[in-house]
Amino acid sequence: MFRPIYIAIFELKRYLTSKGELAFSIALPIALFALMYGAFGGDTDFNATVDIVDLDGGVHARELISRLDALDELSVRERDLDDAESALERSAVLFVVVIPDGFTSGLESGGSPRLTYKQRGNGGETGQIVAAIVGSVASELGSGIRVSQSVSEALAGANIESERLDRAVHVSMSNAQVNPPVGVTVTGAWNDRPDVLDRLMPGILVMFLMFAVTLGSQSFVDERRGGTLERLMTTRLGINQLFIGKYLAGVFRASCQAAVLLVLAFVVLRFGGLSEILQLAVFSVLVASAVTAVGMVIGSAARTRDQAIWAAVFFTMFMTVFGGTFFDVGSDGPLFLLSKVTINHYAIDAMSQMLADGSHLTEQLVGVGVMWGVTVTGLVIARIIFRVS
Amino acid sequence: MDRRASSFLGIKAFIRQEAVLIDMSEMVVVKNLQKSFDGLTAVNDVSFSIKTSEIFGLLGPNGAGKTTTIRILSTVLAADDGDVQIGGYSVLEESDTVREVIGVCPQELALYPELSAIDNLMFFGRMAGLSGKSARDVANKHLEAVGLQDRAKDKVDHFSGGMKRRVNIAIALMSNPRLLFLDEPTVGIDPQSRNYIFETVEKLRNQGMTILYTTHYMEEADHLCDRLGILDHGQMIRIGSPEELKSEIGDPNEVTLEQVFLELTGRNLRD
Repeated sequence: MFRPIYIAIFELKRYLTSKGELAFSIALPIALFALMYGAFGGDTDFNATVDIVDLDGGVHARELISRLDALDELSVRERDLDDAESALERSAVLFVVVIPDGFTSGLESGGSPRLTYKQRGNGGETGQIVAAIVGSVASELGSGIRVSQSVSEALAGANIESERLDRAVHVSMSNAQVNPPVGVTVTGAWNDRPDVLDRLMPGILVMFLMFAVTLGSQSFVDERRGGTLERLMTTRLGINQLFIGKYLAGVFRASCQAAVLLVLAFVVLRFGGLSEILQLAVFSVLVASAVTAVGMVIGSAARTRDQAIWAAVFFTMFMTVFGGTFFDVGSDGPLFLLSKVTINHYAIDAMSQMLADGSHLTEQLVGVGVMWGVTVTGLVIARIIFRVS
Repeated sequence: MDRRASSFLGIKAFIRQEAVLIDMSEMVVVKNLQKSFDGLTAVNDVSFSIKTSEIFGLLGPNGAGKTTTIRILSTVLAADDGDVQIGGYSVLEESDTVREVIGVCPQELALYPELSAIDNLMFFGRMAGLSGKSARDVANKHLEAVGLQDRAKDKVDHFSGGMKRRVNIAIALMSNPRLLFLDEPTVGIDPQSRNYIFETVEKLRNQGMTILYTTHYMEEADHLCDRLGILDHGQMIRIGSPEELKSEIGDPNEVTLEQVFLELTGRNLRD
């Protein structure tokens, strides 16, 4: 009774000790996720340190430094001029802001004091972003001082305290920062979905599960050719136990693959919440079951290793390409009709709904039904043609 | 209990004892075995028997039907006709029980090379019905028997050909079989490993195990086997002890088994 489970655990052990298979099923997804992370960015937060030389030391210079330090994305490191130039020389830093002597007095007299950006080359990508932020904050500071000065001049003789005027201007400008008068909306470039990953992620997950078909069917043929399947039949193991054991082994292996991908999606790409990931994990086991059943059909039918590999590769490619993994197959036309005969179409559809629309697994009747259907049909066919030698 | 009843039970016990003795004396009984593949006859009306604790050598040129016979006897392949009894059980009708009696060391190295020797043995032990702890104990015992206890945790993939052959034999012993099939267990290994395997096989026989041994090395068969059966073109053409077979063509002290073999099967190449 427990022998099929023992076979599955044993197969899992073989899988985990095989460097080639591990590289294929774990290193490859990690590399792919690194590429996706680079392309689409899992984390959009910017963090940098700005090096500042304060040659002025006046109240407005300190105010500028204080405002920069208050920003979440920046931390300020003050240096003296020699130290900053030496660091630039050594390429220890690529970008330094110098607040010139007379900065405060210049602002108070209504002049236009200039900050100096000392940089190595173009200051690097980070330096350019820091420059834009510093410029924006300095400009805001200067604007506030000018507005206060203009209002004070306009209201001269109205017996209003200058401190009260300054405070009013400051509050007004702070409010404008928190609630900008003009807002911006960013939309995704892929149809109506907010993020391209919402579409790609389920497709990639199913694609990697499909690869399990290739590995499963190939190892099946290898074992038959190596004589281990036949040898097992001389033990007390029944042929049905062997068949179930091999099926469970395939499901375990593909589920491991899915677990790796889901953990990567959750940790690296911050994809979905824990609930969505758990539901995806359960659905992935169903997909794993379906693709394993197909793999067993191929493994049982193939007479040589080459036959198994080519059949599995053709199946995987057909399902992946026409299942809408990398492009939208639309909602009518020949591509859409072709996609209807793929496992991927239903799997991706169900997973996308769970991820993007917050749909629950229990609502995915079509997807779950198709996976069960493929599993049962595949296992029946595989058992009929299953042979150990 | 009256005397008549006592006498009846005594006779019954005697009959049962005799029956056991008869069963025990003939571990394998093969009668009129027949097997064809796509119209090609691989095994043709083969009959022979193997006594308990006997090493029976099955010899024959390539394609003679040795491996097919072993596959039928080891329950992997169904015969077209004939009857095979192993340990008193019918291979055809009681294959599950027969599997509890036999251990098979196939011609190919049927191992999982990416795993350690002990993992290989334990897996087949579990499949033979042993519990986890028993499987480990028995695996260690058999690894020691084949001289691999120090390499138990090493991957089989890193083993030499001779070591792999010894693991192959140790796996066959995991079910503690009464009948062991050794299908060309010494192919492609050095004389030291071959000698070690001979010693292991003789030890097993001395412990009471019955062994069906196939080989292409005639001196090996001459040295190890109590009796030999020579198959050719699917038919059993001779059965007898090495001395009996050698005396058919001359003085057993001067004639080699290879000469007998070539005399009986001819000198034409078999592919």
